[in-house]
Amino acid sequence: MSAHHELPPDKHEKLVKAVRLEWFSIVYLVTAVTLLYFTLGSSQAMKAAWVEDILGLTPPIAFLVASRVRNRTPNDRFPYGYHRATAIAYLCASVALLALGGFILYDSVSKLARFEHPPIDLVKPFGDRPIWLGWLMLGALAYSTVPQVILGRLKQPLAKELNDKVLYADAEMNRADWMTGVAAMAGVIGIGLGLWWADAVAASIISIDIVRDGGKNLRVAVDDLMDKEPTAVDDSRADPLPLWIKNELMRMDWVTDAEVRLREEGHVFVGEAFVVPVDDTDLVDRMERANEHLLGLDWRLHELVIAAVSKIDRPEPAGEG
Amino acid sequence: MRKNPAMRPPRAAGPVRPGWAALAAAVLVAVAAAGCGIPRDPERTLDRVRGGTLRAGITAREPWTTLEGGRPGGVEVELVERFAAELAATVEWVDGSEADLMAALEVRELDLVVGGLTADTPWQAKAAITRSYATTRVVVAVPASQPPPDDIAGMRVAVEAGTDAAGILEDKTDAIPVRVADVTQVKGSAVAVDEWLLDDLGLRDTGVHLSKAKHVMATPLGENAFLVRLERFLIAHQAEVPALLDVAARR
Repeated sequence: MSAHHELPPDKHEKLVKAVRLEWFSIVYLVTAVTLLYFTLGSSQAMKAAWVEDILGLTPPIAFLVASRVRNRTPNDRFPYGYHRATAIAYLCASVALLALGGFILYDSVSKLARFEHPPIDLVKPFGDRPIWLGWLMLGALAYSTVPQVILGRLKQPLAKELNDKVLYADAEMNRADWMTGVAAMAGVIGIGLGLWWADAVAASIISIDIVRDGGKNLRVAVDDLMDKEPTAVDDSRADPLPLWIKNELMRMDWVTDAEVRLREEGHVFVGEAFVVPVDDTDLVDRMERANEHLLGLDWRLHELVIAAVSKIDRPEPAGEG
Repeated sequence: MRKNPAMRPPRAAGPVRPGWAALAAAVLVAVAAAGCGIPRDPERTLDRVRGGTLRAGITAREPWTTLEGGRPGGVEVELVERFAAELAATVEWVDGSEADLMAALEVRELDLVVGGLTADTPWQAKAAITRSYATTRVVVAVPASQPPPDDIAGMRVAVEAGTDAAGILEDKTDAIPVRVADVTQVKGSAVAVDEWLLDDLGLRDTGVHLSKAKHVMATPLGENAFLVRLERFLIAHQAEVPALLDVAARR
């Protein structure tokens, strides 16, 4: 068994950049959440945008925790290391996202059904001049929207470089946030124009988006915990690495048959390679050399156990699903 | 290192598409231009009241609202009459229990409800509550002739029977509450009383405050132009509330 460093030097620089971006995201989101909290009023759409921003904190936190925890070496109590901690945190966050989205959707639709008219009144934030809270809401929403879109665009290429699904999901959520912001603004402007239903409709749209986000992330989290085959960071297709490793093994003259299975642990892949050797000559040495060669193929391949077997039982194809 | 086939070259992080930014800016400018007329009422309450009739619900709660001989009076009645005058409207008073009035307000059969409502009112799901225009406190006071005590522990304090102040005095302080029918009749003893009565009764605040009430009015949910208009009035006139309370106290 052998393992190498988690990130090659050129990637390390990207990681440092990603960590800095995520710290910035957290600080920024905390200010946005605070600002939204003080301007919530009785607008449903504001509440939905607020909840989305709070939940938007989980991917950066998961990423930062993961970038520390994954460097902990495995020990006798946790012989596989700590990679899975992120997956568990991610599962919890996506369940929360789903549940809260569902709750706001229910709340908004039932307010719509009861013809509830949201009241927004005056506030006096700056000395003696009263101002309609709606204007402050619009300001707060602009602050909680525009920087997120930019952050998302900065994070996405880094996520691809670092093969990090948590970072990718975070970038996606940030990028999608303009919709939340614009919907909530439309709701508040609607209230201003005397369209009482605009707010609840906007909140429903946002909550549908939150539910969809939650569903998508939940699927990714469950797939990870179920050791699904490695996929591209945007989950669009299977990663070719297992096939590549298999082909490399098959090309070795001492191998008659080979099969590889990999799983994702955070941003790296681990797994097993089964080989049927031609004979027992020098087997340990051959296997060790093969392992060294294979680990050099791709920085994402973190750990590979090669097992010599007499016959390979191949798994059934799962079909599409 | 060999190039990883799964990795596509990263796309450059472009700026936000100008289309969206322009749209957002256009909407904001349009809204700001129309800003003077915002917020509007979904059901046009303010337009209807202006130059017409203000349907106000009242439930008696001295000194804020009184119904002596069926005639509305008190601090809040005075405020509502002045507000109506600003809108060139006449007030049509309807008396009833808080529950009746709030039910009527919810379906917009009333435009306004007064009756010593406070900001912690449980009616917030049925009515839009204004920002508070006055804050009052129930304080423990001693006659101005006496020196203020360091501590009210063990002190006998007169308090009106059947009020939350009596309960708070009992549970939260070490004073001995003496329940009386009318605290304004108590002479020469410590007493729990509304802060605004201190001068009239010749009392001195001990610094122990039992409860605080932020006074509000109720308007129909979502009639934001009317709500904002009323709040502007209340902000402009809240300085007159102590004088109105004094008038009420002397009667």
